[in-house]
Amino acid sequence: MVAQGKCTECTQIEAAIDAIIEQKGPEPTSLIEILHAVQQELGFLPQSVQEYIAEKLNMPAGTVEGVVSFYTFFTTVPRGRHVIKVCQGTACYVRGGKRVLEAVVKHCGCGVGQTSEDRRFSVDIVRCLGACGLSPIMTVDDDIYERVKPTKIADILGKYD
Amino acid sequence: MKTREELQAIRERAKAALAVRGSEGGIRVVIAMGTCGIAAGARETLSALIEELAQRGISDVTVSQTGCKGLCDKEPVVEVHLPSGQVITYGGVTPPVMRRIVAEQIVNGQIVSQYVIGTETEAC
Amino acid sequence: MRAYRSHVLVCSGAGCLSSGSQAVADALERSLEEQGLSQEVKVVRTGCMGACDLGPVAVVYPEGVFYQKLTPEDAELVVVEHLLKGRPVDRLMYVPPEGEEPALSMDQIPFFSLQYKIALRNCGEIDPGNIEEYIARDGYEALAKALTEMTPQQVIEVVKASGLRGRGGAGFPTGLKWELTARSTETPRYVVCNADEGDPGAFMDRSVLEGDPHSIIEAMTIAGYAIGSNKGYVYVRAEYPLAIERLSAAVAQAHDYGLLGEDLFSSGHSFDLELRMGAGAFVCGEETALMASIEGRRGEPRPRPPFPAQSGLFGKPTLLNNVETYANIPPILLRGAEWFSSIGTETSKGTKVFALAGHVNNTGLVEVPMGTPLGTVIYEIGGGIRNRRKFKAAQSGGPSGGCIPAEYLNVAVDYESLKKLGSIMGSGGLIVMDDTTCMVDLARFFLEFVQEESCGKCTPCRIGTKRMLEILERLCAGEGREGDIELLEELGEQISATSLCGLGQTAPNPVLSTIRYFRDEYEEHIRDRHCRAGTCSEIMKAPCEHACPAGVDVPAYVSLIAEGRMDDAYAVIRAANPFPSACGRVCIAYCEDHCRRGQTDEPVAIRLLKRAAADHRSGTWRPELEPKRHRKVAVIGAGPAGLTAADDLVRKGYDVTVFEREDVPGGMMRLGIPAYRLPHDVLQREIQEILDLGVELCTGVTFGRDVTLEDLQRDGYEAVFLAVGCPEGMKLDCPGAEAEGVVDAVQFLRDLALYREPKLGQRVAVIGGGDTAIDSARSALRLGADEVHLVYRRTLDEMPAHPKEIEEAAHEGIQFHFLAAPKEVLVEDGRVAGLVCQRMTLGDFDRSGRRRPVPVEGAEFTLDVETVIPAIGQQIETTYLDEEVEKGKVRVDRRTLSTSLPHVFAGGDCTAGPMTVVDAIADGHRAAQAIHSYLSGEPMPRPKKRAKTRVPEEVLIQLEERAEEEQPAAKPQRIPDAYRCRGFAEVELGFSFPVACREASRCLHCDYVPLEQDED
Repeated sequence: MVAQGKCTECTQIEAAIDAIIEQKGPEPTSLIEILHAVQQELGFLPQSVQEYIAEKLNMPAGTVEGVVSFYTFFTTVPRGRHVIKVCQGTACYVRGGKRVLEAVVKHCGCGVGQTSEDRRFSVDIVRCLGACGLSPIMTVDDDIYERVKPTKIADILGKYD
Repeated sequence: MKTREELQAIRERAKAALAVRGSEGGIRVVIAMGTCGIAAGARETLSALIEELAQRGISDVTVSQTGCKGLCDKEPVVEVHLPSGQVITYGGVTPPVMRRIVAEQIVNGQIVSQYVIGTETEAC
Repeated sequence: MRAYRSHVLVCSGAGCLSSGSQAVADALERSLEEQGLSQEVKVVRTGCMGACDLGPVAVVYPEGVFYQKLTPEDAELVVVEHLLKGRPVDRLMYVPPEGEEPALSMDQIPFFSLQYKIALRNCGEIDPGNIEEYIARDGYEALAKALTEMTPQQVIEVVKASGLRGRGGAGFPTGLKWELTARSTETPRYVVCNADEGDPGAFMDRSVLEGDPHSIIEAMTIAGYAIGSNKGYVYVRAEYPLAIERLSAAVAQAHDYGLLGEDLFSSGHSFDLELRMGAGAFVCGEETALMASIEGRRGEPRPRPPFPAQSGLFGKPTLLNNVETYANIPPILLRGAEWFSSIGTETSKGTKVFALAGHVNNTGLVEVPMGTPLGTVIYEIGGGIRNRRKFKAAQSGGPSGGCIPAEYLNVAVDYESLKKLGSIMGSGGLIVMDDTTCMVDLARFFLEFVQEESCGKCTPCRIGTKRMLEILERLCAGEGREGDIELLEELGEQISATSLCGLGQTAPNPVLSTIRYFRDEYEEHIRDRHCRAGTCSEIMKAPCEHACPAGVDVPAYVSLIAEGRMDDAYAVIRAANPFPSACGRVCIAYCEDHCRRGQTDEPVAIRLLKRAAADHRSGTWRPELEPKRHRKVAVIGAGPAGLTAADDLVRKGYDVTVFEREDVPGGMMRLGIPAYRLPHDVLQREIQEILDLGVELCTGVTFGRDVTLEDLQRDGYEAVFLAVGCPEGMKLDCPGAEAEGVVDAVQFLRDLALYREPKLGQRVAVIGGGDTAIDSARSALRLGADEVHLVYRRTLDEMPAHPKEIEEAAHEGIQFHFLAAPKEVLVEDGRVAGLVCQRMTLGDFDRSGRRRPVPVEGAEFTLDVETVIPAIGQQIETTYLDEEVEKGKVRVDRRTLSTSLPHVFAGGDCTAGPMTVVDAIADGHRAAQAIHSYLSGEPMPRPKKRAKTRVPEEVLIQLEERAEEEQPAAKPQRIPDAYRCRGFAEVELGFSFPVACREASRCLHCDYVPLEQDED
């Protein structure tokens, strides 16, 4: 993407990354902060973007890749239009979080960490959102759903297109 | 901040502001807006409150937010601080319940017993 | 305007008016006038209060006491007792449906009153977005005090003297940590806050960051002053977006107010804070990994030493504390070390915040003094277990912690006591679990967690936990092998000893601690392929059939009933249970308890469906009998255990003779359960069907007297199954127990069942809380007693009787006296003249996790009764086989029911105390298997996994749609109350044919799985 014959889109992306690096500070210690912001902007962190960031921070591309692959929040593939996170913390687990996850997986037709064929949903699990009092919990984008029942999954997900 | 006196001055001002809020006949409604509260629908409750107050043309009610009181199971939790210093804590306040609290508690002065977690008197 | 002391709000909504609230209001006013209170108390007629079904209702303010269903007479009582004497009338107060105490004010609600808030002092009290509200509650005063009055060394001394220990889990003394960091010579130094609250189930740090962010800023600034640092980092996990937002806003505000930045309070001390966001790696909660992550690197831990105090962030001295630890600092500086150290235990000072979650009524955050008993946290603050279930264990310390079983509910929670029990304090997550949680599955869950979160740097953690997980997965699927438990223990110990960081070192804890306390559950998974919690879905066809001790294929017969095929359904039931009609009436129905439909609305009414199959079948059921073996087996006792064994054995081709002491067969089903629950003719028909298969029955034969083991051997019986029950009631142990009119419950019910009219007085007291007590009480009522009292030493929650029976008893007018124990039977002329009861209260927890009743000295009351029926337990009649009897029970190996005599087996009540019918049936099956194995030489078969039902995808989709509509269970009809108190007509009536079919179609079919591709 960043190599030769830059398209306008690529130039725009680079400009956006540059601005983020500028804001967070162009040091290796800011790497995670930068990756968060870039992923926020682009939705995912493809190889080419990682390489571009490495170049800008003057560090080996392998180091950036190592960090991206270490943390589960970072993704190198594009996600669905909506990201579902089903909590599998202990409290959610003992109150039926496993069956909620099964229902979500069934509804979306894709496994954990994957994206549905129509790109509508990506399914993730998360280890405790800290709302254990209302377990089981799941989130769709920024919306939080409490005391989710497997039977309500279709209703909930029907609200997102 | 350079001196303790400055801090003290802010404290006096802030305490006075809180006290006035209580004594001038106004009711204060506080909504718990921690993650649990929001997960349980505190944002919707807040909108319902603001809408209902506007519809009824009530202007002497202050609305504010706070963190989690710890009773996650009863979220959304809403406190109604009365001018008398009495505080009524409601639990399970969905938008319809919020509207009822406005109608019955704030307008008519009747506690909506069904949803009360407990009552207390403010120490000020 | 006149100031009234109290207001009584009487509802004048349409509902209450129609139930007579006008008369109540008038009565109140009249009575106030009479008492001279009309100037002090005002009666207000209000609009509808919304509790129309409780009307007429009234609320007394300022207390806010809510009275329901008032009559004008009640109104006078309220005036005299409550308004005049200040004593609210409990009897009239509204009791919430969960059976909670009526709530008056916050300080009377245990959830709030038992807490002591230091770290959470501002959470839920102030607007976290407004720094002035924090300042108004003495915010930043501690910082001002430290910077203007104290030297850094003095600050450290105060923290040390307070005894504060790290709240993140390890419990390292905080002051010492500060001192060690301050002592380091290198600069710059850093202050770090660990807000990577990764333990699932812990959310106190989130709450503090969201609800009181300034307390962390203030504390870190103080710490910076104490150790000589100008720069702090807060590492927050990315899963907490709201915390990040609130904390960022607070940092900006603190800057605006000059509470962060240069030369604070003219002290020359400068301090600034930065936020760092995690990115979803659990291991980053480990301090060395956390610092690597702040530096922008992979969050991998490194070995210590060097400790952060010498070489931490960027290789510089670093002070690292957790959020809750910091939140304690400002109050300690303001109120002094002495105040703080006065709270808590010898070694653990102050308070601890727990995140209560799981199967507890009040989930949420609670802060209690260190040393508060676990039972207080769970039962009083937490409000007990949801849905009246049984507490099984509490899990503390997240994936590094362990489980605490019911027998340790009295433990005073602090760092040391939890460690002793094999758990840890950890960050304070406390997950409460009831009997639906499988401990093997829980261990598997945690292992899966660590396995996924292991950073992979060291082998024991990466590979070792994977091996452990594989074993646990195998156990949960019913494929466990002998020796697996020992293997888990060995692996666990090695991983603990050789892992690099805390994550790996503690990873085996959840497994080791569940093995320590729940080894029998692990063994059941391996040997019996049984998951008693009904959680491990791979081990079973469906939770209902897995829960049935008799092994009835519930999903199969429920499907058949839905199709209207009653005869086929009956055959499925009868194959595993010779008493479909009896169980359809009195079974405890473990199946319904585990029914998944119960999580949507209500469980399928499985028990009544069983009855419907029996009620509506058209013909008699004839099984295939195996060819005659011409070998004789004797069964002693014609109760459910004995007759089940006889049924199984005769079908296997044995010649079976059943010897029964009484003149009628049926055991406790016939002599213990009253006819209004199980009519005699219904039972007799089922017994006759067993006899019709060729079982020989000899009644009126007492074992040990009329026939002995030697006699049986001589007559050619090759094996004997003892199922003699425990037909003797325990004797009441108090003065007067020998008086005429004290009637043993078992004897009473037996006389009744044999139509020997027992003699009763008009007023009867039954003692006990089990099914026998309830049966006796309801029977006494039917025999014409005017008043029947039931005296039980614990509370309703602990009552062992079936909740439905208790409900019916209450409905019929039995008067319950909870927390009362018999002290003396008053005797006049040798006859009962009353029962003196001792009031009890609940003390600490016993080993079963129930609270022990202890007498309240000096509190007694007397029941004016003529008959006392003790129903306080049963024992076996010990006139035979003395050498086999231990503690009133026949000693057997529970798995094979074998005694020390090779050809004698024993089961049912005589081996384990009174059990339910279905449990006795299970014993009968087991005995038949063991006897067959003994006589044929075939080994006892290991239980098989029952296959799931494969269905096409469309069927599953239809089922899913069915699950979405809420549709409560069908309710059986009951005979009108008027008929209940005269005679023993059956109370509960069965389902009609169409109702049964409809009810059966509520089943969600947990047994269905999609067809596999190749089967298509």
